[in-house]
Amino acid sequence: MMSRLVWGLVDFSSRLLAQDECEAVRGDLAEAGVSGGAALVDILGLVARRQAALWLDGAPWLALAGIVVPLGVLLSHVSRWWAYGWAIDAFIYLNRWTWAMTVENPGFRGLLVAAALRDLVSGLALIGWSWTSGFALGALSRRTLWITAPLFLAVVLGATVGTTTTARANELNAAVFEVPLYGVLFPRLLRALFVLLPAWLGMRRSLRQPALSWRSTAIVAGVIIGLTWWAGRGLELAMVFGRQPVHPGSISLPLLHLLPLVAIWPAGFMVATAIHRRVHHRSHLRIPS
Amino acid sequence: MLGEFEYLLLTAAARLGNEAYGAAIRQEIEAATGRACSIGALYTTLDRLEAKGLLRTWMGEATAQRGGRARRMVQITAKGTHEAAAFYQAVMQVSRGVAWTVK
Repeated sequence: MMSRLVWGLVDFSSRLLAQDECEAVRGDLAEAGVSGGAALVDILGLVARRQAALWLDGAPWLALAGIVVPLGVLLSHVSRWWAYGWAIDAFIYLNRWTWAMTVENPGFRGLLVAAALRDLVSGLALIGWSWTSGFALGALSRRTLWITAPLFLAVVLGATVGTTTTARANELNAAVFEVPLYGVLFPRLLRALFVLLPAWLGMRRSLRQPALSWRSTAIVAGVIIGLTWWAGRGLELAMVFGRQPVHPGSISLPLLHLLPLVAIWPAGFMVATAIHRRVHHRSHLRIPS
Repeated sequence: MLGEFEYLLLTAAARLGNEAYGAAIRQEIEAATGRACSIGALYTTLDRLEAKGLLRTWMGEATAQRGGRARRMVQITAKGTHEAAAFYQAVMQVSRGVAWTVK
């Protein structure tokens, strides 16, 4: 039983090695007939050396400093801010739904359509930012993803701990957030479905294919820029009103205007990678005169 | 100039000739030095020596003895032979006239 567990750990840790190296090392250990414990010590020693070597490169650090921390914090706050906003919208239009008031009243109907459109664009933007963040994270830290991905998850889940939003703190909204669906389930569900799931899919995609085709990249970048143009204001609002208590003077407004750039930089990274690949590919195809 | 472990690895690979691969080199080094040779030290040094052009490696065939897994075969290059010879000459040179006696 114990031996099976140790060999299971050997199996798991050897997957962190490159495929050929894993094959050769596991073969060497089988040939030497070492015990599970000795094999585990050997594998972990090699994995530690390989990981240390990977972290000597700048890419995993760029993934940490460029994606995990800034986008983790940003997506964490924006998802909560919008979750509460959507909760209020849903409460107003669904819990108080009457045909006469909501559909037959032109003024109210206009507000409903505007709210639905705003929430739809916000949701798509959140999915887009999360997917491109996951993609860039996977591309930048392919073999260190087992460290950077859980850190990204921890930042997304933990960045808002101990704070609340103006919407949540406002007593006028108390009726909304007393409902567990809106106060508890909604923010968690939205974060899971609109941030964590797309980010995970983005990582998976980049592990399979580190750079998309030129056309796909252009489409993704265009969509992200468009969505950011529509919904980018929410980033500033989320960081100002979506994080209470706010210390007066602690937030520099000119810097907050740069938040949309933070949100679209993973898409920019994808474009840069696609351009690099295209130029590199062409230079290889060129026939020397 | 080679390091001590690099020299040991190149010498073990030279001694093994066509049968030079990870586990066999490790066994040679352990038998010669009487010390344990970790897989981590062995494989990272193999990579370093290959990057320096002192040896080349490739994946060999799988054997039943290894649980159907392939071996990473090793062959010293001419540059590797030259560097190992230079290291050996330096050790011989510096040892001339010195009698190592343990009192």
